[in-house]
Amino acid sequence: MWESRCKIALSGVGFSKATRAAEIPLAAHALYAVKEAVADSGLNLSDIDGLTTYPELPATGHAEVDGISIVSVNCMMAMLKLPNLSWHIQTGSVNIGGAVQQAVNALLAGVCKYAVVWRAMHNPKGTYQNLPGTYAQGALQFTAPYGFGGPGQGMAVAYTRYLEKNNQKRDKMVTLAVTQRKHGLRNPHSYFKDPLTPKDYFDSRMVAYPFCLYDCDIPVQGAVAIVLTTAERARDLKPQPAYLAGYGERLRFETAGRIGSLANYMEGGRSSAELTWARSGFGPKDVDVAQIYDGFSASVMYGLESYGFCKEGEGLDFIQDGRIELDGELPLNTFGGSLSTGRIHGLWHIIEGALQASGRAGERQVKDVNVSFVGASAPIVTGTTFIFVKEPY
Amino acid sequence: MSDWSKVTRPIPVPNEWTKPFWEAAKQGELKLQRCQECRRFQHPPYATCVNCMSVDLKFESVSGKGAIYAYTIMYHTGDKRFAPAVPYASIIVELDDAPGALMAGNLLDAEYTEAKVGRRVEVTFQPLNDDFTLPQFRLAPGA
Repeated sequence: MWESRCKIALSGVGFSKATRAAEIPLAAHALYAVKEAVADSGLNLSDIDGLTTYPELPATGHAEVDGISIVSVNCMMAMLKLPNLSWHIQTGSVNIGGAVQQAVNALLAGVCKYAVVWRAMHNPKGTYQNLPGTYAQGALQFTAPYGFGGPGQGMAVAYTRYLEKNNQKRDKMVTLAVTQRKHGLRNPHSYFKDPLTPKDYFDSRMVAYPFCLYDCDIPVQGAVAIVLTTAERARDLKPQPAYLAGYGERLRFETAGRIGSLANYMEGGRSSAELTWARSGFGPKDVDVAQIYDGFSASVMYGLESYGFCKEGEGLDFIQDGRIELDGELPLNTFGGSLSTGRIHGLWHIIEGALQASGRAGERQVKDVNVSFVGASAPIVTGTTFIFVKEPY
Repeated sequence: MSDWSKVTRPIPVPNEWTKPFWEAAKQGELKLQRCQECRRFQHPPYATCVNCMSVDLKFESVSGKGAIYAYTIMYHTGDKRFAPAVPYASIIVELDDAPGALMAGNLLDAEYTEAKVGRRVEVTFQPLNDDFTLPQFRLAPGA
């Protein structure tokens, strides 16, 4: 087991109001979320001495403008002017979960005491996923001329492979969409406020077969943030801490531009989960509640299977029969997932994993949670995994 | 059947790794990058052999026969240049000669509903402009 098991805890959390259009600059969303997370911990901004994020804009064909379409560490430093700042970094080889892990490592190394992590997501005007302009450079030269645009299509090709190789039916995914929306209605920060019926799912327009509209999270403008600190310090703060029992990150990567490879997703998930199970000392059977990244519905299946919650090819059967309800065998994406909150990427999943472990999930709190699992990041190929626990034993 | 005649496709920009692929395609030939040590094909081209770490890579001809590995049917008309062809099939093909190497293409000369994992396909060449020809795929005879 990991020698740093349960030595770090997630404390405060903060949310900006996610809106469909960019009504206020993204930097303002990030600032709001960070200030709220710090206040939730009962801290002052002058206590914060560590900053990290993963600032990437997933929309393709749009400019990255700091403060407008991304919020970098530099941008946050400029806004906060933290008098006691002692550490910061941005991650690239893994998604936002990698930034969280860097903050954990910095706290363990003693180079900061209270680290803030945020994820700010921009919804650009016009089409979200643009093909490149007249010319297709780099890895895109082999995909864009054939009408392959953004990650949605990349995930869609893996999904047809998944469905037809495993002799599965896309109709079964309705259970995930409908159940997650039901969970989302208990989350005051959900973007969607109305129930989703099976009829809504089946009547919705196809986007990239096998994905219909409700298999895809909706792009929004919004930000979320967390405060991480050592377990000892966390106990003195306002909220009940969620202790980090273990984490992992994907250890495989196929060459850029290789799309349609289901193995890429599965091996990414498997390698990350193996580290997390080994470090935490837990296994899939010990998990009381799970959050699994759901930017596109199919990635939940790849997660359930590659993390070891069910056998390969059986994810669509696993989610049936009430198993993922709040009182089911494995309550799943209890905050509604990205399918309910809008596209905020994996930090929301990490937040919910921690809130469930610390008993702070309000109306959607699952009973008797001790072991809370998170498969964060989009897609699973840049994925990370975490386990939060209520009791640091 | 998808109408490709009104679609303006992005034009590939070859680099030092990929130039022989596009030069061969212009001549109506399909050539993929092959490791001269372990003999494995790989696609897209890369700086090194991702199987054995060799840097001795050359482009060699392949038959162009293979099977649909995965596909998606595009309905979303986000990019207006592709709107006239919607719905269209974008497919990923695994060639018989190059197991593990995955090539993107469209399924030409067939209804998009014909795209299925495992369907046999063969390469065909679609001129893009005077300088570029796209390797594309159509159903193999009898598939």
